[in-house]
Amino acid sequence: MTSPSASSRKALSKIACNRLQKELVEWQVNPPAGFKHKVTDNLQRWVIEVNGAPGTLYAGEIYQLQVDFPEHYPMEAPQVIFVPPAPLHPHIYSNGHICLDILYDSWSPAMTVSSICISILSMLSSSTVKQRPADNDRYVKNCKNGRSPKETRWWFHDDKV
Amino acid sequence: MAEARKSGRVIEAYPPHLHVHLKPRTADVSSQQFVEATIGMKAGPQYPEEPPEISIIDSKGLDEQRQKHLTASIRDKAFELASCLMLVALCEEAVERLSGMNHPDGNCPLCLYPLLDEDAGSNSLPFMKLMSCFHCFHCDCIIRWWKWTQVHSEKEITSSSSSTSRIMQDQQGMHRMMEESMGKCPVCRKVFLAKDIEHVLGLVGTGSYLDSDGIEIDDDILHSDSEKIRRQKFEAILNLQQENSGLIEPKKTEVLLPGMFLPQPVAFPPTEPDVVPSDSQNNDQAPKSETKPGSSFNRPGSRKHNGPTMRKHRTQNSSKQVRQWVRKDNVS
Repeated sequence: MTSPSASSRKALSKIACNRLQKELVEWQVNPPAGFKHKVTDNLQRWVIEVNGAPGTLYAGEIYQLQVDFPEHYPMEAPQVIFVPPAPLHPHIYSNGHICLDILYDSWSPAMTVSSICISILSMLSSSTVKQRPADNDRYVKNCKNGRSPKETRWWFHDDKV
Repeated sequence: MAEARKSGRVIEAYPPHLHVHLKPRTADVSSQQFVEATIGMKAGPQYPEEPPEISIIDSKGLDEQRQKHLTASIRDKAFELASCLMLVALCEEAVERLSGMNHPDGNCPLCLYPLLDEDAGSNSLPFMKLMSCFHCFHCDCIIRWWKWTQVHSEKEITSSSSSTSRIMQDQQGMHRMMEESMGKCPVCRKVFLAKDIEHVLGLVGTGSYLDSDGIEIDDDILHSDSEKIRRQKFEAILNLQQENSGLIEPKKTEVLLPGMFLPQPVAFPPTEPDVVPSDSQNNDQAPKSETKPGSSFNRPGSRKHNGPTMRKHRTQNSSKQVRQWVRKDNVS
């Protein structure tokens, strides 16, 4: 899935570049368990393979995360979505958008791709039911014009899942 | 000295269960304190035959690795001292270890490059510490972030207040003023006051951090004389601290400043040129002015201030003393 907002993005700033190179090196030395970075020459878009954790509803399933970095990363949060088919989860929409506060309002520049991945896996692992969010159809319809999840005014459901 | 670094709370009198709050020995100067910890010591009924349980209740500035190291060394000590009453000795051990760890460790959480780059030497970037949580950042990293948040919240307010009434705007203005005086640590979200980073904000011009052209300007600031002096000071302190495993005490021989001759300009008979100013004199001045020992020679303020008197002194005293000054100057 390629969103139009991604293609019109500005190039990474020097600071963002340095920081991402550092993250990439750290990832290669010490990747988060259950994740695999798909090597490309594009520093601004990372594609990451997620393995559902053993003993959870998603065990043995493999999904792909797409992480797009804005010009002023890490001041601004990256855009993180699942490449459809997205896992069935009460906080993940069928277009791959993820309702997770740290990706939007609660983003902090001290977070890294690695820490985001761990949060997403933890969100998957703590799920007790495989289903879409209640407002999935309405939300996905509203995003038809290629809107980024970062433009959504998120209302965070709960912190149980 | 160490006693002042501890305060504790007794959870249970017998068998003893304590929470002891510990600071490194160098914590007299708050800017030179980078770690602290509250250690839980819970003794069982078999104490002291059986060593007490050691845990870290709370800590600042210690990452997981350093926390483990701290508990491990206290436990080792506890085994070593088994069958003796050991709680005080364990506190001493903990303070000793904390003093040895009293330096920032790891990477700047914002750029992920080391806070203290030993390879870079004096080119290492300056960093600062938030007093509320002891999290450390490169100065320019945290300022860049701070300015970003300021600009960002401003935008949000102007966009959301466009259609609201005046009263609403006033309220938001008030709200904004409150927000502006506070920030949240990017690492732990603990609230800090804007004045905590004011001293760093003073280092740079306004606004330049947001545009990419600003980077060059920032480099200039980082290589300015005042910045170099500040780094030299810090390095001197750090070296001293490492030599003494965290203990900083002004070295008498190192705090001899030209200005210290000032109070008795004519007290020296020319026949005794080798007399160093009396010890008491020296001691009085040293600890007060030299909270940062070893750095004194790099302080531009004091040098400027003392310059004229020094020259005056030279004309009045023997040539031997003059040579002494020249030597000191070269050292610096």
